[in-house]
Amino acid sequence: MLKELKAISKELLKTKRVDVILAYKRASDGVSAMPCFIFEEKDIDKMILDSYCVYNLSNYIKDFPDKKIGIVAKACDIKSIIVLLQENQLKRADVVIMGIECHGVIDEKRLCPGERPVQDIGFNEKCRSCKSPLPAFCDYLLKEEEERGKTGRASEGDGYASIRKLEAKSPAERLKFWEEEFSRCIRCYACRQVCPLCYCPKCVADQTDLAWFSRASNLKGNMSWNVVRAIHMAGRCVACGECERACPVGIPLMELNKKIEKDVKELFGYEAGADAEQKPLFTCFDKKDPEDFVK
Amino acid sequence: MENIYLPKIAKIADIRQETPDVKTFVLRFEDEAAGRSFDYKPGQFVEFSVFNEGEAPFCISNSPTRKSGIECTVKNTGKVTRAVHELDIGDAVGIRGPYGNGFPLEELKHKSLLFVAGGIGLAPLRSMINYCLDNRNDFGKITIVNGARTSKDLVYKEEYKIWEKAKDTKLYLTVDCEENNWTCMVGVVPKVLEQLKPTCEGAVAIVCGPPVMIKYTIPVLLKIGFCPEAIITTLEMKMKCGLGKCGRCNIQHLYICKDGPVFTYSQLEGLQYEL
Amino acid sequence: MFKAVGKKAFMKLMDSLSKGYEIAAPRKFSNKGVFYSAITDAGDIYLGAEFTVEPVKKLFLMPSEWLFENRFNDGKISLQGGVPPQEARKRIIIGVRPCEARGLELLDKVFCSDFKDSSYSKNRERSIIVGLACSKPDKTCFCTSLGSSPAETRGMDAIIFAGEESDEMMLEIITDKAREIFAPLEDAACEEHRKKLESEKKKIKDPVRKINIPDALSASFESGYWKEVSSPCVSCGVCTYLCPTCHCFDLVDEERKRLRCYDGCCFKDFTQQASGENPRPTKRERYRQRVFHKFDYFRKNFGEHLCVGCGRCIRHCPMKIDISEIAANAPKNK
Repeated sequence: MLKELKAISKELLKTKRVDVILAYKRASDGVSAMPCFIFEEKDIDKMILDSYCVYNLSNYIKDFPDKKIGIVAKACDIKSIIVLLQENQLKRADVVIMGIECHGVIDEKRLCPGERPVQDIGFNEKCRSCKSPLPAFCDYLLKEEEERGKTGRASEGDGYASIRKLEAKSPAERLKFWEEEFSRCIRCYACRQVCPLCYCPKCVADQTDLAWFSRASNLKGNMSWNVVRAIHMAGRCVACGECERACPVGIPLMELNKKIEKDVKELFGYEAGADAEQKPLFTCFDKKDPEDFVK
Repeated sequence: MENIYLPKIAKIADIRQETPDVKTFVLRFEDEAAGRSFDYKPGQFVEFSVFNEGEAPFCISNSPTRKSGIECTVKNTGKVTRAVHELDIGDAVGIRGPYGNGFPLEELKHKSLLFVAGGIGLAPLRSMINYCLDNRNDFGKITIVNGARTSKDLVYKEEYKIWEKAKDTKLYLTVDCEENNWTCMVGVVPKVLEQLKPTCEGAVAIVCGPPVMIKYTIPVLLKIGFCPEAIITTLEMKMKCGLGKCGRCNIQHLYICKDGPVFTYSQLEGLQYEL
Repeated sequence: MFKAVGKKAFMKLMDSLSKGYEIAAPRKFSNKGVFYSAITDAGDIYLGAEFTVEPVKKLFLMPSEWLFENRFNDGKISLQGGVPPQEARKRIIIGVRPCEARGLELLDKVFCSDFKDSSYSKNRERSIIVGLACSKPDKTCFCTSLGSSPAETRGMDAIIFAGEESDEMMLEIITDKAREIFAPLEDAACEEHRKKLESEKKKIKDPVRKINIPDALSASFESGYWKEVSSPCVSCGVCTYLCPTCHCFDLVDEERKRLRCYDGCCFKDFTQQASGENPRPTKRERYRQRVFHKFDYFRKNFGEHLCVGCGRCIRHCPMKIDISEIAANAPKNK
């Protein structure tokens, strides 16, 4: 797969079909991966492709506003590219999607500090309910040469098992749960900065004139920030899991985002990032929109 | 231990409208002892608090030789300055300071001084100009070149007659473009300076204005013959604490609030900075 | 002076001390990580190999703190200073790594010098630091390149050597403050324990990485290198907030209070001026500022680099950016 990817990338740069390739390279620890930006053919050999390629590279599309971009993307990453297309943040002709077959990426937090053996790796939570190892929407589809043995995908139903556990709690218990989680928030905004769909030039959290929430990392400010961001992602979040991965204090942001994703599915029958031809959910109004939940 | 972030309370004694978006506020400390012990040099600044809105740094634009209070000239630009502009006479504000290094008064003694100002950049220079006029025999010839975009944007208009009348002092005013009833010079400050060609013999140039004006004025001064040690400027970056702790206002290793805001061009020349 | 003690006896002493002292120590929260917490039950104290997410800096320069409150009574404004920690109790902080203690020494240069910061200084005065030697340095650590080591005792009142498997602990008493609080523990025979300590120290694996920070970083200021190395950065605040030496802050008015809260040069709005100008509009300028502040400017002003090699920024960076490699590989000229 990597050989084919490198060949295609070389060709794309050579023919100037793209100005830059968003890909993965090896990080300084010799084990993890890191995003890399390739402008010249001679740098193509830096590219790597393995289970450490966790990052959603579509986050960097906003860094190259006037360029044609080639991007190495897993099925989950492509969903966010689809939302960017739906929201007119990107022209289809300006992006060349090289979709890669993926059977799971690692969960770095389950690895111990120090040695990181490649063999015994724990898979990312999001991979366990992934339905699509083969991306459907792409310009090039790169398949594995051999059959994969161990995969991270253990068809775990619809992926909402932990959400249902939370839903079963009483409102007071749920509030206690989230207050405990958000009390650790340090307002680093890593969740926002790694999200491909948080692209507002001036985030509501950064506005000082008026200031919408407290800048302090107290519970009130933290609740405001996290809840508002989740609501701004409603109907748009594709559950790529980057926000939870980036959070240094381990807040289970995916529980919140996936709960809203589940609600959106149940209330509106809509799934974010599924169809590039669809309009974004909350930008449209139709008399036939469901409203039986409006009391 | 003193709380270095705690301002002293001052009341607004007077407000003067300088231009449509610039006002000068005269402040007096509520506690008279605080007012008496507030000792500062021209070129220093204070951190001005509008309680519940925020705090911003403003240079002290009156000379320490004139103890009329602390005068701050403020342009209505953002959140805090807008709140400042909404203040009335009698309102209470907070003052922390004085901070910064101020002009090097000892080194400037007996020199001729060329003041070059653009727009509200005249504010810190006014403090120094009046200090020199109040200690007239300590300084040589004084030349003031003051420009603004339009005549409406000129500040401290009521001082001009006094400066023109002072001993061995010349004042040149300029606006960017021709205007009706405008009898003084026309042209941006760097161009006007080139025309005037003031002498650099035994002189020090003190420049303050918007970054683009400083950028084009300094080469003109160098061409005229001023050496980098004889060009002084006061710089501005976004500031919060004013004490060199919050890490925000640095140009390379120099903090504007602590090592500045007054710098010689020889200090800045070697620094590659982002401005 | 040494004390040899079992972990249980140590915890028992901590429980009894908690009546007169505030105790803070790392505590492990399963799945989330290890965080400094206020300890009410000494059994919660974690002295294992895993590092805390946030450094001990947060107990001295708090993530958010109110500096004063303004009140309006009878037409008059009065200001009330923040809660002075001098009235707060004395505090014992356990489990501080050598790199974090070094970090406090560097922060002292900023907060305890001219214009002494009363809140930070009082927190320093009331705290007794009981360090913990690192038995398993992480791959990302590089403290030995910056004047520290896994068993360095600078800045500590006492230091613990504790193996993860055994129940035994060794405590080296360094200052009188520590001597006083650990008096109830039995002294250990000096010579025998010093030998044991030496062999413990030898057992601690030196961090693998030696980084050479170049002397003349400034020569590369205009180089295209900075645009290249800063491109994976997403401009979040993780590296800044988790760094034992980063100290940039914001002052903001909220609800009648003047608040000081963490801020960072990585954020786009850090240097945004009301006029609309921003001297650091892109990641290139901001990341370069971070590297230069740590490895050039701070040394010019205070004689040492503003980094202790703890590796937190690398471990927790969402993109695994390695500032030590970036600084070490900076070009020698434009």
